[in-house]
Amino acid sequence: MNRSMFLNKTWKLLCSLKLAIVLASAATLLIMGGSLLIPFNPRVFSHMDAVALGDWLRTAGAAQPALTWWVFAAGALMLLLGLNTLCCFLDWARNLRARWRKSGEYLIHLGFILVLAAYVWGSLAGFRSEGDRIFVGEVREIAALPGYYLRLDAFEPQLGASGRPVDMLNTVTLLHGDRVLSQEVVKTNTPLTRGGLIVVPSSFGRQPAGFNFFIAGRGAVSLAVGSQFELGGGRMLRVIDFIPDASRRSDGQAVYLGDELGDPAIQLELLQSDREPWRGWYFLRGEIPYPLVAAGVRLWPTEPLYRVFSVLTVNYDPGAPLAMVGATAMLAGVLLAAVSFYYKRGRGDRPEVV
Amino acid sequence: MIASTSTLLLGSAFAAYFASAFLYLLHLRVRRPFVLRGAVVLVATAFVLQTFILGQRWLAAGYLPVTNLFATLFFFSWALAATYLYFELRYRIHAAGLFVIFLNLLLLAGALPRDPAIPPLIPALDTPLFTLHIAFSFLGYAFFAMAFSLGVLYLLQRRLASDLLPDPGLLRKLNEEAIFLGFCLFTLCMIMGSIWAYVAWGYYFSWNIKGVWSFLVWLFYAGMCHAKFVRRWQGTGYAILSIAGFGVVLFTYLGIGLLLQSNHPLD
Repeated sequence: MNRSMFLNKTWKLLCSLKLAIVLASAATLLIMGGSLLIPFNPRVFSHMDAVALGDWLRTAGAAQPALTWWVFAAGALMLLLGLNTLCCFLDWARNLRARWRKSGEYLIHLGFILVLAAYVWGSLAGFRSEGDRIFVGEVREIAALPGYYLRLDAFEPQLGASGRPVDMLNTVTLLHGDRVLSQEVVKTNTPLTRGGLIVVPSSFGRQPAGFNFFIAGRGAVSLAVGSQFELGGGRMLRVIDFIPDASRRSDGQAVYLGDELGDPAIQLELLQSDREPWRGWYFLRGEIPYPLVAAGVRLWPTEPLYRVFSVLTVNYDPGAPLAMVGATAMLAGVLLAAVSFYYKRGRGDRPEVV
Repeated sequence: MIASTSTLLLGSAFAAYFASAFLYLLHLRVRRPFVLRGAVVLVATAFVLQTFILGQRWLAAGYLPVTNLFATLFFFSWALAATYLYFELRYRIHAAGLFVIFLNLLLLAGALPRDPAIPPLIPALDTPLFTLHIAFSFLGYAFFAMAFSLGVLYLLQRRLASDLLPDPGLLRKLNEEAIFLGFCLFTLCMIMGSIWAYVAWGYYFSWNIKGVWSFLVWLFYAGMCHAKFVRRWQGTGYAILSIAGFGVVLFTYLGIGLLLQSNHPLD
């Protein structure tokens, strides 16, 4: 067999309709069997949507090959099917003058190739990040996109008639350095998108950020990190830090345990004109620190002070715009194929049979 | 008020489908054209009643109410009746629709004992993409159900050669048409669903079992659209594939929705 015959035969095989059926059938049967492992092995599969497929294959996928081999095999079959579809499409495009009546069907092929290529691209070069907490006014760097930042300008939960939250209105600004790229009110079904970057709301919550106190002779006062309070007589109280759940070290310092309200501790600084400043931790479930009592500062915690945060999903999929082009090609292909189907049926055409 | 009217009308639609199935069966013994005409008129009447109920519920809810098992069974049944009428009016398939009517009765029998109350719409579903995704999905399923019915009849006709059924050539042609149209509609469903998933979750393909099996349905019928060009798969092979394909559809719709945890819960 000479080289051109070999190339010709290889090309015919790659364009073969029967190869497409074999690959599609093999992929269908493999995924059918494999996917039944998904609901019964949540430890392995439940995070598949939380990370890009490439990351999942490298981590959870590679760690449990006995359970995940079918995902690798299905990926290989889909890539082969994509190659077969591409060759088939190119073969059609080469003979467009004679086969233009099949434009609808081949637009669907093109759409499939583009969506598949986009998915592979996004799986390898994209990232997903779920559960990013961001407070109002906070600026967060997008870890996987250095130089890009998100700022939450405002947040407003929408509550239903029963008082349950039904939606979240996040005013989000996307920045590149100091330059504003985009600002959107991000809510359910209304994401912020730019290129392959997408920001969607996921949840929201509140975190203790300080405490309300009753100060003898002064009444109620709210103290959070950064706040300061004039006590009179040249004395001032400043809040240096706050930990919602802390434990006390032997030297009196506080150790961070968590963000849920447990054993809260507030770090205060007492500035007095006639004495050295005092700085120390006040564990709110315990006694008032002696230096405060000695200075005549009596403050009792009444209730925690909360800060609302939004939980955003920040994903980057460089293939997403290409997938949209593919979807548009498929949509156009389906409409054209349907019109052409009725036209051909009307003329009594029968399909070519191999 | 709407719920009680809907239940009454739905009961009437069920009775009309039941009576049409009876007339189709009667036609096996009494081969009179008026019996067949009566059966078709009853199906059309039931379809009109279902369309009225659907319109009424849509107006009352302000969105296409297909968010629980009652509503999806009802909508599937409506789509199936529409598909049957399409084939009946276009090709006069007559008794070939009997299987579809039985299937429709099963769907409605599944819907009737359930609560028809329309649940409040959650914001995630408040988008035209949801309406299009669902509508194309069930219309696609209905054509696949029709293909299943035509596949079964094709196999029967090959054995029985009955003059009550269309000839195998026509059944084969209708089966191919049902698969092609079902595939087109299901492709639109997948496109709308993917765009919706992207704007709602930030990715357009989910590895949740429902997402995976929906892709399998699409891949299976894409393969079938190609198999009709292969001589060996025409006729009997194609009929068997149509039956197997509907098994995949039923598992994707009911099996996963009711037996497994998915991101498309039915109740």
